[in-house]
Amino acid sequence: MMENREIQSILPHRYPFLLVDRILTIEPGKKATGIKNLTGNEWFFQGHHFYPPSLLLESLAQVGGIVLGSKAKEENPLVHFAGLFAGVSEFQFRRCPVQGEQITLQVELTQSLASIYRFAVEALVGNEKVAGGQMLLSFIKNPSGGPKRSSAGGPG
Amino acid sequence: MYEKAPGRLNITNAENVGGVERKKWEEVFLRFGHPFPTVVIDRVEELERGKKIKAVKWVTADELYLSGHFPGEPIMPGVLTLEGLIQSALIFLEESFTRGNIRISLEKVERLRFKRAVLPGDRLDFLVSLTGKEGNLWKFKGKAQVGAEVAAEADVILKVDVREVGFEL
Repeated sequence: MMENREIQSILPHRYPFLLVDRILTIEPGKKATGIKNLTGNEWFFQGHHFYPPSLLLESLAQVGGIVLGSKAKEENPLVHFAGLFAGVSEFQFRRCPVQGEQITLQVELTQSLASIYRFAVEALVGNEKVAGGQMLLSFIKNPSGGPKRSSAGGPG
Repeated sequence: MYEKAPGRLNITNAENVGGVERKKWEEVFLRFGHPFPTVVIDRVEELERGKKIKAVKWVTADELYLSGHFPGEPIMPGVLTLEGLIQSALIFLEESFTRGNIRISLEKVERLRFKRAVLPGDRLDFLVSLTGKEGNLWKFKGKAQVGAEVAAEADVILKVDVREVGFEL
Protein backbone atom coordinates (compact mmCIF):
# COMPACT_ATOMS: atom_id res chain seq x y z
CA MET A 1 0.00 0.00 0.00
CA MET A 2 1.27 3.40 -0.97
CA GLU A 3 -0.39 6.72 -0.25
CA ASN A 4 -0.43 9.69 -2.56
CA ARG A 5 2.43 11.35 -0.71
CA GLU A 6 4.69 8.42 -1.40
CA ILE A 7 3.55 8.31 -5.02
CA GLN A 8 4.72 11.91 -5.35
CA SER A 9 8.17 10.90 -4.13
CA ILE A 10 8.45 8.49 -7.06
CA LEU A 11 6.61 10.25 -9.88
CA PRO A 12 7.51 13.79 -10.99
CA HIS A 13 3.85 14.42 -11.94
CA ARG A 14 1.87 17.00 -9.95
CA TYR A 15 -1.53 18.64 -10.13
CA PRO A 16 -3.26 18.72 -12.59
CA PHE A 17 -1.55 15.76 -14.13
CA LEU A 18 -1.11 13.35 -11.24
CA LEU A 19 -3.75 10.83 -12.18
CA VAL A 20 -3.39 8.06 -9.63
CA ASP A 21 -4.57 8.36 -6.02
CA ARG A 22 -3.34 5.34 -4.17
CA ILE A 23 -1.51 2.08 -4.77
CA LEU A 24 -3.27 -0.87 -3.15
CA THR A 25 -0.81 -3.66 -3.86
CA ILE A 26 2.61 -3.51 -5.38
CA GLU A 27 5.40 -5.91 -6.27
CA PRO A 28 8.21 -3.57 -7.30
CA GLY A 29 9.41 -4.33 -10.80
CA LYS A 30 6.53 -6.74 -11.47
CA LYS A 31 3.01 -5.50 -10.99
CA ALA A 32 0.75 -3.13 -9.13
CA THR A 33 -2.87 -2.24 -8.54
CA GLY A 34 -3.76 1.41 -8.15
CA ILE A 35 -6.93 3.42 -7.81
CA LYS A 36 -8.20 6.67 -9.25
CA ASN A 37 -11.35 8.22 -7.88
CA LEU A 38 -13.44 10.40 -10.11
CA THR A 39 -15.09 13.30 -8.37
CA GLY A 40 -17.08 16.17 -9.81
CA ASN A 41 -14.74 19.08 -9.26
CA GLU A 42 -11.77 17.83 -11.26
CA TRP A 43 -10.58 20.04 -14.08
CA PHE A 44 -11.51 17.69 -16.92
CA PHE A 45 -15.07 17.44 -15.60
CA GLN A 46 -15.82 21.09 -16.37
CA GLY A 47 -19.01 20.68 -18.28
CA HIS A 48 -18.82 16.97 -19.03
CA HIS A 49 -19.16 13.79 -17.13
CA PHE A 50 -16.79 11.12 -18.37
CA TYR A 51 -13.12 10.43 -17.85
CA PRO A 52 -11.40 11.07 -21.20
CA PRO A 53 -9.89 7.84 -22.61
CA SER A 54 -6.55 9.53 -23.18
CA LEU A 55 -6.30 10.41 -19.49
CA LEU A 56 -7.20 6.83 -18.60
CA LEU A 57 -4.12 5.79 -20.59
CA GLU A 58 -2.06 8.29 -18.62
CA SER A 59 -3.36 6.89 -15.29
CA LEU A 60 -2.29 3.40 -16.31
CA ALA A 61 1.08 4.66 -17.51
CA GLN A 62 1.66 6.35 -14.16
CA VAL A 63 1.00 3.11 -12.28
CA GLY A 64 3.52 1.48 -14.65
CA GLY A 65 5.96 4.25 -13.80
CA ILE A 66 5.49 3.48 -10.09
CA VAL A 67 6.20 -0.24 -10.69
CA LEU A 68 9.52 0.61 -12.36
CA GLY A 69 10.37 3.56 -10.14
CA SER A 70 9.80 1.73 -6.85
CA LYS A 71 12.09 -1.07 -8.05
CA ALA A 72 14.83 1.40 -8.95
CA LYS A 73 14.44 3.17 -5.59
CA GLU A 74 14.62 -0.14 -3.76
CA GLU A 75 17.96 -0.88 -5.39
CA ASN A 76 19.40 2.57 -4.86
CA PRO A 77 17.43 5.24 -2.97
CA LEU A 78 19.45 8.05 -4.55
CA VAL A 79 19.00 6.97 -8.15
CA HIS A 80 17.82 9.41 -10.79
CA PHE A 81 15.42 7.99 -13.30
CA ALA A 82 13.03 9.07 -16.00
CA GLY A 83 10.04 7.15 -17.22
CA LEU A 84 8.64 7.98 -20.62
CA PHE A 85 5.45 6.90 -22.27
CA ALA A 86 6.68 5.15 -25.40
CA GLY A 87 3.50 3.73 -26.86
CA VAL A 88 0.42 1.55 -26.82
CA SER A 89 -0.59 -1.59 -28.71
CA GLU A 90 -3.99 -3.15 -29.19
CA PHE A 91 -5.70 -1.03 -26.60
CA GLN A 92 -9.43 -1.62 -26.45
CA PHE A 93 -11.94 0.71 -24.84
CA ARG A 94 -15.29 -0.66 -23.71
CA ARG A 95 -16.74 2.45 -22.11
CA CYS A 96 -15.60 5.59 -20.39
CA PRO A 97 -15.68 5.71 -16.59
CA VAL A 98 -17.93 8.48 -15.35
CA GLN A 99 -18.08 10.89 -12.45
CA GLY A 100 -18.64 9.12 -9.13
CA GLU A 101 -16.80 5.93 -10.00
CA GLN A 102 -13.59 4.44 -8.76
CA ILE A 103 -11.23 3.03 -11.36
CA THR A 104 -8.98 0.13 -10.46
CA LEU A 105 -5.79 0.25 -12.48
CA GLN A 106 -4.02 -3.08 -12.91
CA VAL A 107 -0.59 -3.16 -14.44
CA GLU A 108 1.73 -6.11 -14.94
CA LEU A 109 5.17 -6.20 -16.54
CA THR A 110 5.30 -8.80 -19.30
CA GLN A 111 8.50 -8.11 -21.17
CA SER A 112 11.58 -5.94 -20.97
CA LEU A 113 13.86 -5.21 -23.87
CA ALA A 114 16.81 -2.94 -23.11
CA SER A 115 15.16 0.21 -21.73
CA ILE A 116 11.70 -0.55 -23.13
CA TYR A 117 9.20 -2.24 -20.83
CA ARG A 118 5.99 -3.83 -22.02
CA PHE A 119 3.02 -4.02 -19.68
CA ALA A 120 -0.33 -5.76 -19.79
CA VAL A 121 -2.76 -3.23 -18.38
CA GLU A 122 -6.40 -3.26 -17.42
CA ALA A 123 -8.81 -0.70 -16.04
CA LEU A 124 -11.81 -1.88 -14.06
CA VAL A 125 -14.82 -0.26 -12.44
CA GLY A 126 -15.96 -2.72 -9.80
CA ASN A 127 -15.75 -6.01 -11.64
CA GLU A 128 -16.45 -4.54 -15.03
CA LYS A 129 -13.53 -4.23 -17.38
CA VAL A 130 -13.67 -0.82 -19.05
CA ALA A 131 -10.41 -0.85 -20.99
CA GLY A 132 -7.35 -2.98 -21.49
CA GLY A 133 -4.37 -3.63 -23.69
CA GLN A 134 -0.64 -3.35 -23.86
CA MET A 135 1.50 -0.39 -23.00
CA LEU A 136 5.15 0.45 -23.60
CA LEU A 137 7.21 2.51 -21.20
CA SER A 138 10.77 3.52 -21.65
CA PHE A 139 12.68 3.80 -18.41
CA ILE A 140 16.15 5.24 -18.07
CA LYS A 141 18.21 5.14 -14.90
CA ASN A 142 20.79 7.85 -14.32
CA PRO A 143 20.07 9.58 -17.59
CA SER A 144 22.83 11.88 -18.73
CA GLY A 145 22.52 15.38 -17.33
CA GLY A 146 20.60 14.36 -14.21
CA PRO A 147 16.83 13.90 -14.18
CA LYS A 148 16.27 15.67 -17.49
CA ARG A 149 13.68 14.23 -19.77
CA SER A 150 13.45 16.70 -22.59
CA SER A 151 15.71 15.27 -25.24
CA ALA A 152 15.14 11.61 -24.54
CA GLY A 153 12.05 11.02 -26.63
CA GLY A 154 8.35 10.79 -26.05
CA PRO A 155 6.80 12.32 -22.97
CA GLY A 156 5.20 10.41 -20.16
CA MET B 1 -19.04 8.98 -24.76
CA TYR B 2 -18.77 11.46 -27.57
CA GLU B 3 -22.39 12.00 -28.32
CA LYS B 4 -23.71 14.75 -30.43
CA ALA B 5 -26.73 16.51 -29.05
CA PRO B 6 -29.85 16.79 -31.20
CA GLY B 7 -29.67 19.60 -33.67
CA ARG B 8 -26.99 20.25 -36.19
CA LEU B 9 -24.10 22.53 -36.71
CA ASN B 10 -23.71 24.46 -39.85
CA ILE B 11 -20.03 24.25 -40.58
CA THR B 12 -19.52 24.73 -44.23
CA ASN B 13 -15.95 25.74 -44.71
CA ALA B 14 -12.63 25.43 -43.01
CA GLU B 15 -11.08 28.50 -44.56
CA ASN B 16 -11.97 30.82 -41.70
CA VAL B 17 -9.06 31.55 -39.47
CA GLY B 18 -8.60 32.76 -35.93
CA GLY B 19 -11.30 33.24 -33.36
CA VAL B 20 -14.33 32.62 -35.47
CA GLU B 21 -13.34 29.13 -36.38
CA ARG B 22 -12.04 28.26 -32.96
CA LYS B 23 -15.44 29.10 -31.54
CA LYS B 24 -17.10 26.78 -34.00
CA TRP B 25 -14.84 23.87 -33.09
CA GLU B 26 -15.43 24.47 -29.43
CA GLU B 27 -19.10 24.13 -30.20
CA VAL B 28 -18.39 20.82 -31.93
CA PHE B 29 -16.54 19.49 -28.92
CA LEU B 30 -19.20 20.69 -26.52
CA ARG B 31 -21.69 18.64 -28.43
CA PHE B 32 -19.45 15.62 -28.21
CA GLY B 33 -18.99 16.21 -24.49
CA HIS B 34 -15.54 17.58 -24.92
CA PRO B 35 -15.43 21.11 -23.58
CA PHE B 36 -12.76 23.64 -22.82
CA PRO B 37 -9.98 22.22 -20.65
CA THR B 38 -9.23 19.30 -22.93
CA VAL B 39 -9.71 20.91 -26.32
CA VAL B 40 -6.30 20.56 -27.90
CA ILE B 41 -6.96 21.92 -31.37
CA ASP B 42 -6.59 25.56 -32.29
CA ARG B 43 -7.25 25.61 -35.99
CA VAL B 44 -8.09 23.37 -38.92
CA GLU B 45 -5.90 24.11 -41.89
CA GLU B 46 -6.95 21.56 -44.47
CA LEU B 47 -9.97 19.37 -44.71
CA GLU B 48 -10.86 16.97 -47.49
CA ARG B 49 -14.23 15.44 -46.82
CA GLY B 50 -14.05 11.67 -46.50
CA LYS B 51 -10.28 11.66 -46.83
CA LYS B 52 -8.10 13.63 -44.48
CA ILE B 53 -7.73 16.57 -42.14
CA LYS B 54 -4.88 18.72 -40.93
CA ALA B 55 -5.28 20.54 -37.62
CA VAL B 56 -2.90 22.69 -35.65
CA LYS B 57 -2.11 23.18 -31.98
CA TRP B 58 0.25 25.83 -30.67
CA VAL B 59 1.94 24.64 -27.51
CA THR B 60 2.53 27.33 -24.91
CA ALA B 61 4.00 27.32 -21.42
CA ASP B 62 1.02 28.64 -19.45
CA GLU B 63 -1.34 25.79 -20.22
CA LEU B 64 -3.07 24.23 -17.25
CA TYR B 65 -1.69 20.71 -17.55
CA LEU B 66 1.90 21.83 -18.10
CA SER B 67 2.08 23.05 -14.50
CA GLY B 68 2.02 19.44 -13.34
CA HIS B 69 3.70 17.80 -16.31
CA PHE B 70 6.30 18.48 -15.10
CA PRO B 71 6.93 21.21 -12.48
CA GLY B 72 9.76 23.34 -13.81
CA GLU B 73 10.09 21.21 -16.91
CA PRO B 74 7.05 21.55 -19.15
CA ILE B 75 6.51 18.80 -21.71
CA MET B 76 3.27 18.36 -23.62
CA PRO B 77 1.72 15.13 -22.26
CA GLY B 78 1.84 12.41 -24.89
CA VAL B 79 -1.71 11.31 -24.18
CA LEU B 80 -2.94 14.79 -25.06
CA THR B 81 -1.17 14.48 -28.40
CA LEU B 82 -3.27 11.36 -28.87
CA GLU B 83 -6.30 13.37 -27.76
CA GLY B 84 -5.51 15.91 -30.49
CA LEU B 85 -5.46 13.18 -33.12
CA ILE B 86 -8.81 11.87 -31.87
CA GLN B 87 -10.32 15.35 -31.84
CA SER B 88 -9.12 15.91 -35.41
CA ALA B 89 -10.93 12.71 -36.34
CA LEU B 90 -14.07 13.98 -34.56
CA ILE B 91 -14.07 17.15 -36.65
CA PHE B 92 -13.43 15.06 -39.74
CA LEU B 93 -16.47 12.90 -38.97
CA GLU B 94 -18.62 15.87 -38.10
CA GLU B 95 -17.78 17.32 -41.50
CA SER B 96 -18.26 14.05 -43.38
CA PHE B 97 -21.84 13.51 -42.21
CA THR B 98 -24.23 16.12 -43.38
CA ARG B 99 -27.38 14.63 -41.95
CA GLY B 100 -28.53 12.52 -39.03
CA ASN B 101 -27.24 12.43 -35.49
CA ILE B 102 -23.95 10.69 -34.92
CA ARG B 103 -22.64 9.04 -31.82
CA ILE B 104 -18.93 8.38 -31.70
CA SER B 105 -16.90 6.38 -29.25
CA LEU B 106 -13.26 5.46 -29.14
CA GLU B 107 -13.08 1.75 -29.81
CA LYS B 108 -9.43 0.90 -30.01
CA VAL B 109 -5.94 2.31 -30.22
CA GLU B 110 -4.12 -0.27 -32.29
CA ARG B 111 -0.69 1.22 -32.31
CA LEU B 112 0.62 4.35 -30.73
CA ARG B 113 4.26 5.43 -30.64
CA PHE B 114 5.78 8.54 -29.17
CA LYS B 115 8.95 9.60 -30.92
CA ARG B 116 9.80 13.08 -29.79
CA ALA B 117 9.04 15.37 -26.86
CA VAL B 118 6.80 18.35 -27.63
CA LEU B 119 7.85 21.49 -25.80
CA PRO B 120 6.31 24.95 -25.28
CA GLY B 121 6.95 27.04 -28.37
CA ASP B 122 6.40 24.16 -30.76
CA ARG B 123 3.66 24.07 -33.32
CA LEU B 124 2.02 20.68 -33.46
CA ASP B 125 0.39 19.55 -36.70
CA PHE B 126 -2.16 16.76 -36.53
CA LEU B 127 -2.43 14.88 -39.82
CA VAL B 128 -5.24 12.38 -39.78
CA SER B 129 -6.49 10.31 -42.70
CA LEU B 130 -9.21 7.73 -43.07
CA THR B 131 -7.74 4.36 -44.02
CA GLY B 132 -10.67 1.99 -43.84
CA LYS B 133 -14.20 1.30 -42.80
CA GLU B 134 -15.79 -1.91 -41.60
CA GLY B 135 -19.43 -1.63 -40.65
CA ASN B 136 -19.58 1.12 -38.06
CA LEU B 137 -15.87 0.97 -37.30
CA TRP B 138 -13.82 3.71 -38.93
CA LYS B 139 -10.10 3.31 -39.01
CA PHE B 140 -7.79 6.31 -38.95
CA LYS B 141 -4.09 6.80 -39.30
CA GLY B 142 -2.77 9.80 -37.44
CA LYS B 143 0.54 11.53 -37.28
CA ALA B 144 1.51 14.43 -35.04
CA GLN B 145 4.40 16.48 -36.35
CA VAL B 146 6.57 19.30 -35.13
CA GLY B 147 7.87 20.82 -38.34
CA ALA B 148 9.10 17.82 -40.33
CA GLU B 149 9.77 15.69 -37.26
CA VAL B 150 7.22 13.09 -36.24
CA ALA B 151 6.24 13.45 -32.56
CA ALA B 152 3.69 10.64 -32.43
CA GLU B 153 2.02 8.11 -34.69
CA ALA B 154 -1.23 6.31 -34.01
CA ASP B 155 -3.70 3.90 -35.59
CA VAL B 156 -7.08 4.58 -34.06
CA ILE B 157 -10.47 2.94 -34.54
CA LEU B 158 -13.62 4.93 -33.81
CA LYS B 159 -17.09 3.50 -33.60
CA VAL B 160 -19.64 5.66 -35.37
CA ASP B 161 -23.38 5.14 -35.06
CA VAL B 162 -25.56 7.20 -37.31
CA ARG B 163 -29.15 7.74 -36.34
CA GLU B 164 -31.17 9.13 -39.15
CA VAL B 165 -33.84 11.45 -37.89
CA GLY B 166 -36.36 11.93 -40.66
CA PHE B 167 -35.96 14.86 -42.95
CA GLU B 168 -33.61 17.58 -41.99
CA LEU B 169 -32.79 20.60 -44.03
